[in-house]
Amino acid sequence: MEITREIIQIAAYLGAGISVSIASVTSGIGVGYIAGEASFAMMRQPRAGDQLFRNMFISQAVTETGGIFSLVISLLLLFGGFDVVEGGWYRFAAMLAAGFAIGFGSIGPVLGSGYTGGQACKAIGRMPKFSNAILGNMLIGQALAQTSSIFALVIALLLLYSTPLQPASASWGQVILKTLSLLAAGISIGLGTMGPGTGIGYVAGRASEMIGRHPAERPNIMRTMFLGAAVSESTAIYSLVISFLLLFAIH
Amino acid sequence: MEYIARAAALLGAGICMGIGALGPGVGEGFVAGKACEGIARSPENASLITRTMLVGQAVSESTGIYSLVVALLLIFST
Repeated sequence: MEITREIIQIAAYLGAGISVSIASVTSGIGVGYIAGEASFAMMRQPRAGDQLFRNMFISQAVTETGGIFSLVISLLLLFGGFDVVEGGWYRFAAMLAAGFAIGFGSIGPVLGSGYTGGQACKAIGRMPKFSNAILGNMLIGQALAQTSSIFALVIALLLLYSTPLQPASASWGQVILKTLSLLAAGISIGLGTMGPGTGIGYVAGRASEMIGRHPAERPNIMRTMFLGAAVSESTAIYSLVISFLLLFAIH
Repeated sequence: MEYIARAAALLGAGICMGIGALGPGVGEGFVAGKACEGIARSPENASLITRTMLVGQAVSESTGIYSLVVALLLIFST
């Protein structure tokens, strides 16, 4: 089928829609969970209101990162000027895959950071005296959970900026090969970050809550959190490796 | 025709690693979260809990490594 600019624009619109809609659903859940836990903690411990309010805002901001990444990619897809007709099916696949990668890639990290922030608010409500220790642990944990959404952002940006134009001499078979490998790169990192993001968020949430309950054990808890988060991150790195191979090792 | 088979193998590699990374990530995170809780509650058993956590995570990781191996085979040996 002869490619026209309109067909490439279809991919841009679809990618932008997938990316921002999925990310806004999950950001809403994550941010709302934090606000819910903070409100409940304020009810139990009204004197800790200031610390809870501060913690809620900071954790909501970090949780929103995944949503902002998706918004950036959607705006790039719509207004970045990638929809040139010389790009051919390569550009079509790259734009669809970029939207898929960051849209699905932000689900896990956002839900994970939301859980962490909620548990930290709960812990501060129980032990307002240790709010700084809990906030520090929460920020480290949320940063670890957001790492995998940064992997997805990197792949989405590489898909947009490093996909070559479709050569005029390319045979039909080569075009199918490259198109599907670009799509597969987006699917691999998009789905692959879901598990690690959620898992690391769970680790960090439990660690924050337990620092609130047993502050004396903080070094032990944080060590276990780092160890567990690092192991949990490994599958996201496998997905990143497969995406890089699909992007750059296929001609 | 061979191009189409190879393209399908590449798409399969992406789906394989993407979905295959879901389970181990969640599972390992759950293990580590519960280990944090256990260490906080009974710190005297910290080394035992850490050891159990690592063994459990290693077993849970195995399916992620299977996905990686299958994805690499699909990319390089078809």
